[in-house]
Amino acid sequence: MDPLLQESVLEKAGSIVRRVGSFLKMASYYDIDDILVEEQQRVPVVFQQAVNGVDIDPSAETHCVEPGSKVELPYWLAHELHLRKVAKMKVPACFNQRTKLELGADGASVDLRSRCLYFYEFGCKIAPLVGDRDMGSFLLSAFRTRYQKILAKAHNAAFTAHSKLLSYLTKEETNLYEAAQSSMAAFKKWRIGGPRFERASVLGRKRKEAN
Amino acid sequence: MMYGTKAIQLVKEIANGEKGQLTPFSSDVFSEVIAECSQHFADLRSLIRKMQEAGLDVETTKNEDHYGQLIHHLSLVRNKRCLMAYMYNRAEILRNLVWKVGSDIPEEIQEKLSHSEKEYFKKHSEALKSYMSRVVLELAVDMVPPKDPYIKVRVLDDMGEVELPSDNTANFARHSMHFLKRTDAEKYISLGKMEELTG
Repeated sequence: MDPLLQESVLEKAGSIVRRVGSFLKMASYYDIDDILVEEQQRVPVVFQQAVNGVDIDPSAETHCVEPGSKVELPYWLAHELHLRKVAKMKVPACFNQRTKLELGADGASVDLRSRCLYFYEFGCKIAPLVGDRDMGSFLLSAFRTRYQKILAKAHNAAFTAHSKLLSYLTKEETNLYEAAQSSMAAFKKWRIGGPRFERASVLGRKRKEAN
Repeated sequence: MMYGTKAIQLVKEIANGEKGQLTPFSSDVFSEVIAECSQHFADLRSLIRKMQEAGLDVETTKNEDHYGQLIHHLSLVRNKRCLMAYMYNRAEILRNLVWKVGSDIPEEIQEKLSHSEKEYFKKHSEALKSYMSRVVLELAVDMVPPKDPYIKVRVLDDMGEVELPSDNTANFARHSMHFLKRTDAEKYISLGKMEELTG
């Protein structure tokens, strides 16, 4: 291929990738879950620089942070400071060795909800920053094992039998579980036939059934 | 208290609410977050002033005051995102409501809205109405593709003598049953004043 043409193609491709990237970022600006991912779990950081005029170190008596102080910050603040080398991020507790071992042994019965409600999303955000190369494949294999069990349960037994399972699931997994159940319910409804018009769901379900 | 904790309350309110349901507008928390933003802005400015007074170049000097400004800036932007997401997600529910119930806000929804949201609802439904009259098409009917132009309904709320869009009048007494045009019944079913009978 003509080198000039090749260069222009590459440049085009690069600009498309950049544009898609910024679009994806914009798309999640209003996303409630994305905002909560960045808040839910505190990330331990060690400050590299001194900071003045802020109250983020609960152990400090002045409005300052000394270099070397260890503070737990929400992700939205921690990752910006990490990128600017003001503070260095460490792997949060929910991705420690013990969790990895437990998930490796019997992934489907680990209580991820109590460790981090947004386990996978948070992991994806953390992975490129803390320099843990295995994080991606670890998250994927954990998700794979659990996904199978969730779908099987959602399609089979009654809702009440699953309160224990549900209390273990992360937000994403709960959504999957509910999607599986509602698609099953919709399928049954379609087979039997029933009213196609319904009261607008935004008005709530105050009224009792008439019969 | 960690920065941004107040604002996350608003986001959680949306997250914890049932999907597609409105909660009353939290005007107290909302204005507290705005006050927090103003505080961050004031702190940011006083740190800038401190650097200027010391004769430092605000744009290039990276000292402890600079990083203090950075944290206030990031917190302000974070609070803004939470406020915007709160408004945006509520507005989305309102837009969907316009399609379902038309231009009158049901009373139980009305009392949950802030002033600007009522205004938004009104303007959005006006815009939709003027668009539909321009294309001469009632877009909000038949949201579910019809199998039959007529349906059987039972009245759940006493409405008395009502004039229907198809120019007929009918007496909708509670528990009475009717055989109506779908287009006439659709709005009342959405409002929960009738239910469709099947089988």
